[in-house]
Amino acid sequence: MSAEAVLLRARGNPSGRTLEAYLGAGGYEGLRKALARVPEAVVKEVSDSELRGRGGAGFPTGRKWSFVPKDHPGPRYLICNADESEPGTFKDRELIECDPHMVIEGIAIACWAIGAHTAYIYIRGEFVRWARILEQALDEARARGLVGRSILGSPFDLDIWVHRGAGAYICGEETALIESLEGKRGFPRLKPPFPAVVGVFGKPTVVNNVETLACVPHIMTRGAAWFASIGRSRNTGPKLYCVSGHVNRPGVYELPLGVTFREIIEQHGGGIRNGGKLKAFFPGGSSAPIMTAGDVDVRADFDGCAEAGTMLGSGGVIVFDESVDIVAAAANLAHFYAHESCGQCTPCREGADWCMDILDRMLDGHGRSADPDTLLRICRFASEGMTICPLGDAFALPISSMVTKFRDEFERRISTASPRPQKKLPALPWAGQRPGFGD
Amino acid sequence: MSTRPITAADPAAVARAGFDDAMESKITALLARYPTAQAALLPVLWLCQERYGWISPGIMEAVAVRLGVSPAYIQGVVTFYTMFYTAPPARYVLQVCETLSCAVCGAKDLLALLERRLGIKPGERTADGSFQIVGVQCLGACGNAPVVQVNDDYYEDLTPARLDSLLAELGRAR
Amino acid sequence: MPRLTIDGHEVEVAAGTNLIEAARAAGIEIPYFCYHPYLSVVGQCRICLVEVVGQPRLVIACATPASDGMVVKSESSARVKEAREAVMEFLLANHPLDCPVCDQAGECLLQDHSTSEQGARFASHMVETRRTFPGYERRLLGPHIIQNQNRCIYCSRCIRFTREISETGQLTYTSRANHAFIDTFNGTPFDDPFSGCAADVCPVGALTIKEFRFRKRAWRLRSTASVCPGCSIGCSVFIDHHERIVYRLTPRGNAAINATWLCDYGRFLAETLNDQSHLHPRHRVEGKPVRLSWGDALRMFADELRSARTLRVVASANLSNEELFLTRELFGRHLRGEIVVPVHQGQQRRMKNGRGEWLHSTDAHPNSGGARRLGLDIVGEEALARFLYGAADLTVILDPDAHPFLATAEALRLVKVGLSIACMRSEHPIVHAASLMLPVPTLACNEGTFTSSTGTVQRFDMAFPPPGETRPLWIVLVALARELGIATLNLAGPAEVFDLMAGNEKAFAGLSWEDLAGTRVPSRLEQQHVG
Repeated sequence: MSAEAVLLRARGNPSGRTLEAYLGAGGYEGLRKALARVPEAVVKEVSDSELRGRGGAGFPTGRKWSFVPKDHPGPRYLICNADESEPGTFKDRELIECDPHMVIEGIAIACWAIGAHTAYIYIRGEFVRWARILEQALDEARARGLVGRSILGSPFDLDIWVHRGAGAYICGEETALIESLEGKRGFPRLKPPFPAVVGVFGKPTVVNNVETLACVPHIMTRGAAWFASIGRSRNTGPKLYCVSGHVNRPGVYELPLGVTFREIIEQHGGGIRNGGKLKAFFPGGSSAPIMTAGDVDVRADFDGCAEAGTMLGSGGVIVFDESVDIVAAAANLAHFYAHESCGQCTPCREGADWCMDILDRMLDGHGRSADPDTLLRICRFASEGMTICPLGDAFALPISSMVTKFRDEFERRISTASPRPQKKLPALPWAGQRPGFGD
Repeated sequence: MSTRPITAADPAAVARAGFDDAMESKITALLARYPTAQAALLPVLWLCQERYGWISPGIMEAVAVRLGVSPAYIQGVVTFYTMFYTAPPARYVLQVCETLSCAVCGAKDLLALLERRLGIKPGERTADGSFQIVGVQCLGACGNAPVVQVNDDYYEDLTPARLDSLLAELGRAR
Repeated sequence: MPRLTIDGHEVEVAAGTNLIEAARAAGIEIPYFCYHPYLSVVGQCRICLVEVVGQPRLVIACATPASDGMVVKSESSARVKEAREAVMEFLLANHPLDCPVCDQAGECLLQDHSTSEQGARFASHMVETRRTFPGYERRLLGPHIIQNQNRCIYCSRCIRFTREISETGQLTYTSRANHAFIDTFNGTPFDDPFSGCAADVCPVGALTIKEFRFRKRAWRLRSTASVCPGCSIGCSVFIDHHERIVYRLTPRGNAAINATWLCDYGRFLAETLNDQSHLHPRHRVEGKPVRLSWGDALRMFADELRSARTLRVVASANLSNEELFLTRELFGRHLRGEIVVPVHQGQQRRMKNGRGEWLHSTDAHPNSGGARRLGLDIVGEEALARFLYGAADLTVILDPDAHPFLATAEALRLVKVGLSIACMRSEHPIVHAASLMLPVPTLACNEGTFTSSTGTVQRFDMAFPPPGETRPLWIVLVALARELGIATLNLAGPAEVFDLMAGNEKAFAGLSWEDLAGTRVPSRLEQQHVG
């Protein structure tokens, strides 16, 4: 298996970001090839590559593109999801930092494939620097006729705009992203209808992750068969794994999809810091069931993780050594999801908040015997279709797996001490109001 | 990297602002990118925050009129997102990531340093208005934990000592 | 038309019908909070989860269209009961135990559904401190609305109402997730002309009506079907009353005219229905009002009518069709008097019907349509003044509220010339001109029909009997006709008057008093479950 740098080939070269450097490395050849073929052929090539979405859901990209109805009068839209907010995930900014043109080329090819003439790069608000990098790259591309009217001399017109978010993890969910792009609160939509049929502005829309799109030029230049030769069936291509936490060498590592977590953590991540021992790890961002040290030989691909009862997700590997208090980690995550919940639907809004309160109370030394089972109950009824979107599952999976796999740590927090004193509630974070106009 | 301080505009000046020609032409350019006026809302709000430092009720009203939605609607959008300031911010907003990887890699020590050096906790600001601390969720730089975002800029691989130097540098900057 | 089975009951519904409405057609109630038949579907509350055989996950009934051959399980599914029990637990987790002090009690969807969706032995392990919103617990959100954010279940009905129905967009979520709250822009008042409807659609006591606060428990109220007297649109309402006091007007469902809405102007006319200061017939003796019996009063009235050579009658577009018909027959045809119906063009009123169309009116009366169709003379202020100018032997004022002009000093001066008889209800300056004053009650103690601006004839019922010695005007007119020996107008009740009209008037042809009560009027509690 090749450990060739495909996606991160320009990393380490500070001027590798320029259009000149990208062209010099064979950039935009994929776009040229795509434009010379019919869109259906491009969709087929991507389908044949078995590329699966790199944003977290792992949905086959070619199939997603094929859902766009052919007979719709349009317009159609492509959205590049650069919202990267899943804890433990930092690969998309790496791609944008090193090779923004690879992302732009992938967007352009995708637009040709689905018949979109407008694409938006929805990038999280905090990524100010990376939004600027993309804007500069787009300026270069426009100046060179790679974006805009009649790109590369073809009859295809294409506009690509950068659109900044403003601080909301939920806007990484494709329908919440679409709502946010439309200038609204980031509330996920009910599905069906699916974005491919009714998306942004009510039109057919495909939302793809940055890394997914970055793979596309390579599929066009080197072929689906080459892409599919990396990894294994239905789990193909190079993958950017993010390693963080208690390792010696945290960072982004480009590896063939399907290496084991042991290889990722020990070989590339440099093993546990300070000579410590692995206690647990999250395989794909924090929204997946936690894995214990015994799971290191699981294959870090979609099917491997699914078979092991977890999810590859975004490929953000968060590593814990034995210093980590699992109850504290669970509380930390509960705070995250409670803060990021959009608040629309009952089980997530109330359930995440409730989990946070229970876990804070346990950390405070006032755990009760019913708490672990109450946490499991809350998680059960905030997942599996109870909610509008998967954010419910996103907190239910990690928290319930932590309670189940590290039950003793939770049991140890159950106290026989007197009940907790009245909680002091924080002031409202947004307090721009005078109470009542008539008071 | 030198981080630009925020200069929050005087509230009286931004109440019932209405937009000057420079802003107007930028807004018009933004509107051209979208089939609906409303879709330009987040970009227009960013424009306003970059210009005025925060989003006042007066700005909300002006944006409401410009885009053809109710002021309450604008308020709903502005307050959904954590990055829009609805009160004038300090010159330097220290956004300290508190989520998992940063939490297990020393975020607490950074907060302890900030309290020692500046005397404030998350949610508070210094009396002279130069610094405020906000606890934020995952900034997407977990490989370089712990991380603090100061205004627009990321500061990564921090230790209390490095953060201390940064504070000194920002404190000296004018 | 899809044919489907719900809990074993087969039903056929129109294509596109959602499962909540399909179940309703089958006589099954699926609980809901955020769903409302006249608002957009958001699927937020999650209480309407049902099982559709063949689908692995539960689905929300509000957003699932019925399809042919579908097999749906609501109460017959243990999975559904479990899921709904959990959703109720989540909703109650942060909900304050306010029932003893909350106006919504008795008509609260949270009370209703927690009773039906949580098993009798259910006990939650929720022991955390509930979230609260200091400063937002009894906040005057607008002139008529009190907000208690602690009770809010985030269904967004109020927000959707102001965006989709009243179109003011005044309400919004502010902030996010577990600290979100409902608010107006920057503390400005919620002065939407339909603000009361926001309290109606709120399933809990988060938004309540200020004028009704703490005045009466909902289950004490009796609801009588009536028609709003505020303008010519003729919205269907309930008069909610107890022990002969009207506590509030609430909307009654009427897809053709007001869907399930009522504007604030109409709604807050409720208090005028209690405004009764005249309870006995009186006449002036040496300038002072003195009581007399009805018998004496009617005889006096009849005497004056017989001896008057010129008779002028100021009728009113606030009177029922029956009263206007009797007026025309008695004073017009038999007594050859001149009759005018003044109509005041006032502030524009609007209402959205069930199809989302706006109806407009500047006509400040509920029955100009009836007056017009009965061929009566409709006049404005100038013509009314001219009508009252000069001497007539007898002037009869059937309703002092017929037109604002009647409250002016000029009107008083005009009417004082010659003899006048007035029907009185509340304090009104015209009383100083009248030599005989007959007490009539408010709309709440009358029964009859109005004809709306859209030409719809609608019946209003009597909430409680007339107080004191007040008599509805139609009874006074029938008694007067009897006194004058006019046999054809000796009618026993408004039904007979209506049937006489239906027989003789083109505008009422084919209608019947019984049919106007028509489809059974849904009770107030049923209304609560509809919207």
